[in-house]
Amino acid sequence: MPGLNLFSLKGANAASAEYDSVLTWIVIALLSLGLVMVYSSSIATAEASRATGYQQSYYLMRHSLYVFLGLLAGVMVFQIPSKIWQSSAPFLFIFGVVLLILVFVPGIGREVNGGRRWLSLFVFNLQPSELMKLFVVLYAADYTVRKGIVKRSFSKAFLPMFLVMMIVGVLLLLEPDMGAFVVICAIAMSTLWLGGYRLKVFAALLLALPAAFAALIIFSPYRVKRVTSFMDPWADPYGTGYQLSHALIAFGRGEFFGVGLGASVEKLFYLPEAHTDFLLAVIAEELGFIGVTAVIMLFAWLIIRAFAIGRQAAMLDRLFAALVAQGIAAWLGIQAMINIGVNMGVLPTKGLTLPLMSYGGSGILVNCVAIAMLLRIDWENRRVMRGLPI
Amino acid sequence: MNYTSNLKSTGQVELPKWRARVLLSLLLMVLFLLLARAVFLQGIHNDFLQQEGVARYGRVIDISAHRGKITYRDGEPLAISTEVNSVWASPSDVEASSRQISQLAQLTGTNAAEIKTRLNDTSRDFVYLKRQLPPDEAGRIMRLGIPGVALRTEYRRYYPSAEVSSHLIGFTDVDDNGREGIEYGWQAHLGGKNGSQRVIKDRRGHIIEDVASVRVPKPGKDLTLSLDSKIQFMAYREIKAAVTQHHAKSGSIVVLDANSGEVLALANWPSYNPNIREKPNVAVLRNLAVTDQFEPGSTMKPFTVASALEAGKIRQNSVFDTSSGVFIIGGRKIHDTHPEKTHSVAQVIQRSSNIGAAKIALLMPAKTFWQSLSDNGFGQPTGSAFPGEAPGKLRDYKSWRPVEQATMSYGHGISVNLLQLARAYTVFASDGELKPLTLLKQDVPVLGATVYSAATAHAVRDMLELAVKPGGTAPLAQVVGYRVAGKTGTSHKLENGRYVDKYVSSFVGLAPVSDPRLIVAVMLNEPGGKEYYGGQVAAPVFSSVMGAALRQLNVPHDAPLNNVLQPPAEIIREET
Repeated sequence: MPGLNLFSLKGANAASAEYDSVLTWIVIALLSLGLVMVYSSSIATAEASRATGYQQSYYLMRHSLYVFLGLLAGVMVFQIPSKIWQSSAPFLFIFGVVLLILVFVPGIGREVNGGRRWLSLFVFNLQPSELMKLFVVLYAADYTVRKGIVKRSFSKAFLPMFLVMMIVGVLLLLEPDMGAFVVICAIAMSTLWLGGYRLKVFAALLLALPAAFAALIIFSPYRVKRVTSFMDPWADPYGTGYQLSHALIAFGRGEFFGVGLGASVEKLFYLPEAHTDFLLAVIAEELGFIGVTAVIMLFAWLIIRAFAIGRQAAMLDRLFAALVAQGIAAWLGIQAMINIGVNMGVLPTKGLTLPLMSYGGSGILVNCVAIAMLLRIDWENRRVMRGLPI
Repeated sequence: MNYTSNLKSTGQVELPKWRARVLLSLLLMVLFLLLARAVFLQGIHNDFLQQEGVARYGRVIDISAHRGKITYRDGEPLAISTEVNSVWASPSDVEASSRQISQLAQLTGTNAAEIKTRLNDTSRDFVYLKRQLPPDEAGRIMRLGIPGVALRTEYRRYYPSAEVSSHLIGFTDVDDNGREGIEYGWQAHLGGKNGSQRVIKDRRGHIIEDVASVRVPKPGKDLTLSLDSKIQFMAYREIKAAVTQHHAKSGSIVVLDANSGEVLALANWPSYNPNIREKPNVAVLRNLAVTDQFEPGSTMKPFTVASALEAGKIRQNSVFDTSSGVFIIGGRKIHDTHPEKTHSVAQVIQRSSNIGAAKIALLMPAKTFWQSLSDNGFGQPTGSAFPGEAPGKLRDYKSWRPVEQATMSYGHGISVNLLQLARAYTVFASDGELKPLTLLKQDVPVLGATVYSAATAHAVRDMLELAVKPGGTAPLAQVVGYRVAGKTGTSHKLENGRYVDKYVSSFVGLAPVSDPRLIVAVMLNEPGGKEYYGGQVAAPVFSSVMGAALRQLNVPHDAPLNNVLQPPAEIIREET
């Protein structure tokens, strides 16, 4: 049972290691820090909210459960050979699209704060856009490998992919889930880029995409508000710039060493979404620059490891696996970057969580599955290198 | 290298390695830039951000200072401050449902519209929703859990003796500043200095951290009055009963310690309850015994006699022709209500002869008479330091006409306040010394200013004793077991410069005569019943208060217990 090795304490340099223990430790560190900070940032709001039954550990308990379920799911996914993912990628993608449509079906879809992003599954609410991120990674990788022969043809290779992504994009924007839309676009683009599509197309897209975003922002006033407030949160610090100004204050208060774990003031009802989208602001306030650096370094390391696994797979001519590994790296990396950028006021507010850290069941679950896939690919790489069957 | 893979494609597909490197480099570069941004936010721009933070959740809050308490001389409380909670809100922080607003309105005793108006004023950081609630009621409001609504500890003044001493003590306003009476006059002594404190608050208004104490609150100092709780209560009860019984407009009473000049009681009726926030009109708020002046009438006669004795113009056994009740001077008739052909000096006091007093006054040079009255404290503040005290009026002797000097002898053309009049009687209670007057408890004996010789003082005191005996104007002033001395007054009131048939009836006296301890002055303003003479309406009040006070103080008897003798017939009347 290779899955049991997930919990093995063997050192990273052990010659007999059959999995990437460094990556495992990075993920365990991110999950643990996330758990602690989700608790710290949610105590006050949980204790004062009727919705949580005034239990201060409400979010801690739930987040712990999600992490546990995530690890469980990860262990299970680790058992599945990557070729099965590849063969089922198109079906998973269609399944994802169906889920995204179901979000709009009354009775199944659940509306929270004007957003239709959730499916009500009785015990917990599923956020299909989170699943979709993983499915897009698999689908884009599979598509690129399948269309490898015709990759130089714009109409045969690029356009179909583009149109499929447009459908997903429209569904996400209808929810609306701008953050997921951006991430999924980024995953698709990254995979196409890594897959070797023509440079001209990317050059053209490089010009077209910003124009498309600009158009979106202009025709959707509430996004215009978000954008202008991000540019100068101090112009209207009690209105549109409220959330961001408080996130920035949290950073400023943290300084180098932070105000100490648990001592954040911003989490005391000032900073909304402190345990989800703005978890990093609370980390910055309580743990300071040290904490922020640790988070950024861990993500950087995670990306480097994932790319290394991908490169290894590519060298073994395991193209699908390589693209999946690097696609996951791009996904987690870009989502983390956007979240961190939003927290620091360099990007407009998106509604994206910090992968592996922020509170959120679907997110944690899917992130754990993605990591399990990375570990599986690495494990397969090692088996292949030794000439063992997968 | 011998790589095999079942996933290996046709070989036509290949991933360009440089593209992965470019993407990885791009991702790492962005992460590095974000790290640089963190350096800027946390290491360079942090001062500005922290200031913004302080502007949002740092607050300087006032800490109310405790106001000093006021007590009777025996320590019984007259005015005490207790902790209460005021409910306030920071309108921009308030997030309340309409149900919470209506609950809030119900608990604060206002209506929802009023609450909403106050909470909509987001230009203000601080609005009171309800001042000074008992802690349990305030707690109920806080349990609504409305963000932005908070409590402030304040102090509320309570006056345990309520109406009994309200005129003297006065009251404070809602901000704990003295508004009337001693509360106002001794504000600097009683009032503390509020402190302030810099704190951090969460968004719902709870203080989560004391950052710094900017200023420590300085509590006010306590004040012990000379007032005696039991005598004060008896004085209040008796004056209230007398005003009611005689249908007077108002009444005042003062009890002084004859030796120390301490005010042991001071009460007026009508009175008011200072514990009720809504105060009556200004007329009822006035401490009439101090802030109102009146023409004293015959209670001035002892000073006329004493001045003449002291000046050597008369002797104790001098006899005056009182012309059977009418004496014309300066075109004006002076009447005696109880006409006699002659009066001895003692009889002038005993029977309150206006003609006798006028004749005695006219024996003295104006300056001598004026000096003597002035030395007795007339026309000057008493030194009580009570805010708004009326100093009375004693005109300059240079402008006196003989008729004025004559009428002044029986208390017309001069005005006094009751406290001043009571204090002036200390000269007869002592060996001719005028005692300083005080509202505060004195621990060391006080020195007075000598006005008359001991012989003069004793002589007049003896004459005053005659006035309360059968044959005098005030036998009703007698007290069982004690020798008392005193003088009645029944003066016409001046209205628009003319004397009208409305009276101020008074009695001022001292006891025990053998070693005077107390002075009691009683005044009834416009008694409306059949009886209006000072000897009829004021003397009985004097008798009961003096008797009760002497017994209260355990003053030894100086007369047998059957000493009170009432005349068989009607008592001698006097006017002025």
